[in-house]
Amino acid sequence: MLELLQQSLFSGLLVGSVYALVALGIALTFGAMKIINLAHGELVLLAAYMAYVIESRTGWNPYAAIPLAFALTGIVSVVIYLLIERIREHRELNSLILTFAIGIILTNAILLVFASDVRSTGSPFLQDAVSFGPVYAMKGEITAFIISLAVMAGLWWWLKNSWYGRAVRAVSSNRDAAKLMGIDPRRVELAAFIVAGILASVAGVALYTMSVVQPALGPGLTIKAFIVAVLAGVGSIPGVFCAALLLGVTEAMTVTLASSALQELVGMVLFLLVLFFMPNGLFGARARRG
Amino acid sequence: MIRRNCLATACLAATLAFAASARAEDITIGAHMPLTGSLARSGQAFNEGMQVALRVFNESQSKHRIKVTVIDDESQPAKAVTAVEKLSSDGAAAIIGGYGSNIVGPASDTSNRLGKVYITGGAVSDELVQRGNKNFFRINNNAGYQRGVEGLIEEVKPNGVSIIASTKEAPMLLAKGLEESLAKKGYKVTLHPFDPAITDFKPIINKVKLQDKSEIIFMSAYENDYVGIIRAAKVLKPPVKAIVGAWSLATPKMYSDFPDLMQNVIGTTFLPFPVEVKDEEGRKFAAVYKEMFGKEIEYASTLAFVETMVLSEALARSADAGTLKSGGLLAEMKTTNRPSPLGRITFNEVGDNPNFALSMGQHRDGKIPLVSPAEFATGKLAYPAVPW
Repeated sequence: MLELLQQSLFSGLLVGSVYALVALGIALTFGAMKIINLAHGELVLLAAYMAYVIESRTGWNPYAAIPLAFALTGIVSVVIYLLIERIREHRELNSLILTFAIGIILTNAILLVFASDVRSTGSPFLQDAVSFGPVYAMKGEITAFIISLAVMAGLWWWLKNSWYGRAVRAVSSNRDAAKLMGIDPRRVELAAFIVAGILASVAGVALYTMSVVQPALGPGLTIKAFIVAVLAGVGSIPGVFCAALLLGVTEAMTVTLASSALQELVGMVLFLLVLFFMPNGLFGARARRG
Repeated sequence: MIRRNCLATACLAATLAFAASARAEDITIGAHMPLTGSLARSGQAFNEGMQVALRVFNESQSKHRIKVTVIDDESQPAKAVTAVEKLSSDGAAAIIGGYGSNIVGPASDTSNRLGKVYITGGAVSDELVQRGNKNFFRINNNAGYQRGVEGLIEEVKPNGVSIIASTKEAPMLLAKGLEESLAKKGYKVTLHPFDPAITDFKPIINKVKLQDKSEIIFMSAYENDYVGIIRAAKVLKPPVKAIVGAWSLATPKMYSDFPDLMQNVIGTTFLPFPVEVKDEEGRKFAAVYKEMFGKEIEYASTLAFVETMVLSEALARSADAGTLKSGGLLAEMKTTNRPSPLGRITFNEVGDNPNFALSMGQHRDGKIPLVSPAEFATGKLAYPAVPW
């Protein structure tokens, strides 16, 4: 039993790191603009398909696709921002409808270009098993975990130390006050969207290397990312990471101790419990004070 | 002058009458398929098989020309219902159904209410034939898949079977049927249901490795799940002797997409690969399919080809008898009795095809010989043999 639990814990942490990568983009745009980008899962998917294109056409490691994936997701992110920016009334609500529609368009564009086949990496290196004592993983999962940690640290540093990062936090905290301090919220929001595009590109490539992608995956990714972002609370990068790991481990433990058929249910129960007892999320209040 | 005009008029009238009788009669059918959404891969294969069948049928005779209007149901039951209503109101003579029991169920109910014959090759739930829908017909069923897998298990007699099954309706139906049947025969069976949203199968495979210790893993799932399960098994290497799956696994496409995962994996199928079609109709289907889509025929497209041919022939018979507009199609469907690349097709009193049975094919270096049952085998079963 101990061996089962150890493997579950380990698998949950690895899966959670990818949840975190996907959720960071949503958390960032939600924090900066109070907008939930329902097309974020499709941006991740777009990046995953770029990894497939690079790997299948050139035989290179899928991670070599990150620049191409970023170029594409960055452009789409800017387009999404420019469309959202044109919304004059009820931006929070209308942007939901707009980004939902963009998600559908992106899914169908992916379907048209790449067909409905399932895709995943064929790299022997990334699929090789690696063991740490009694627990096992694919090298692709370990790579994704390390990259997730690095991206998280980089984003945290950017938000704390760069001018744009601090401006994002200022706009997130109080848009009008930020304007009085000479910050142009439009530029800052655009920067947040572009950074979310970078995060989506890394998340998509990581997803491709350790899992299976297909055109219908986008909405599921968005929902999972949204759950993680709400669990974490607005504005907390370490919070997103911890919430994602918590969700991943909870799901994996449910599979081991009960049944996989219950894993989504248990994840949602966790989500509801946190919302009920801690409406600001696990780390939300502390982050806002910071 | 008058005589000459009369002669010319008579000639013209005769020519027009001949032309009218020689012109093919157009019959329009409707189809709803999941061309987008989570079932798009199967839906597109079904659409391809249907298009080939219509071309083969229309070229085989000149009396009737069958056209199809296809609506994308987006893998959603509500859209499928709307599609059937639209197709019916547009005058479709019959409906070719979609994919997935949860979609076909409400869509065929609607078709039944509207008095339209509905045929499917993409829904295996037993409930579909227990509703008393007199207009419902299908060419495949859960029992056919179960017979194929059970036959293989009886041949190799493993110490136990771990069934890893998606909680979607059709995979779970097959898994539960197999669990019950094998348990009755004295096999140790453990069922591991999984949520379709799962991304990591290692915790399940670890249970198979450390708790079940079964010699066979049976996967009742879909392509993306197969890849995840086999990949997790390659990492954890449970002491199994074979990995077996249900639909859409023993296909050349799976091998070409995932060659490192598919070697020695066994799945249900009805044709070996490279395709060895023994009947004339199958050869024609394979040739036209390759011409139209540039690839070999596959599992889902063959189901669609057969269902469309069956419906087209019944439509033609009904039109010939002049009963198409008075409900004669239903009677013609019931008299169906023909060979096909899937075996003989007949329909029992509830519209099911009792002859449906599948063989088991094993991935072997890019080829898929049939390895079970023995009477249809084109190659020897490699056992024990796993992808790693």
